Amino acid sequence: MLNVDDKFEELFVLRKKTYNGFIEVFEDKNPLHTDHHFAVDKGFKGMVMHGNILNGFISYFIGERLPTKNVIIHSQDIQFKNAVYLDDELVFNAVVTGVYDSVNAVEFKYNFKNKEAKIVAKGKFQIGLLQ
Amino acid sequence: MNTIDILSEINEIFIDTLDNEDIVIKEETQASDIEEWDSLTHIMLVVAVEKHFKIKFTSSEIQSWNNVGEMVKCIQSKGV
Repeated sequence: MLNVDDKFEELFVLRKKTYNGFIEVFEDKNPLHTDHHFAVDKGFKGMVMHGNILNGFISYFIGERLPTKNVIIHSQDIQFKNAVYLDDELVFNAVVTGVYDSVNAVEFKYNFKNKEAKIVAKGKFQIGLLQ
Repeated sequence: MNTIDILSEINEIFIDTLDNEDIVIKEETQASDIEEWDSLTHIMLVVAVEKHFKIKFTSSEIQSWNNVGEMVKCIQSKGV
């Protein structure tokens, strides 16, 4: 079902609904995320979106876009490379880097790129295929 | 590789994967001997061992192991 070098691509847009929902659920109202002037003063173009929203996009990809629904996340890591702003369009690319049939596990490497083709985040995750 | 050398390399994998510097594995070590060795970390250990030695196990091989020594024998059977 999944083989080494299989590639996937998704487009995500960081919409206000997602941003507001994240704040409502997790209550992270740090001024970097909620105060335009604070964020600009720190050298950013505007309010920086919560990096962990990208983890939500990864969750969606794993749970909804893989060729099977029989999946569970074993591990996931992420490195944030550049800031993401409201309404940014992010291209998510993932590639299968390892298939471990003995334990029904599959490892992926991924990145998110913004419209300027800059990597804003990258990392890897491992999923299990449920029997 | 002999058993001692494989055990030494596996020990480093256990320390890294289970994030416990104090782990010292022996041939007779079982999952119940190491607090962090549960069903999920077992998967992570198998993946790490396969990667490290560039080998592939089968699910029946894994299910047959009762301790680390049996894992080591299985690794040796792959020509390591």
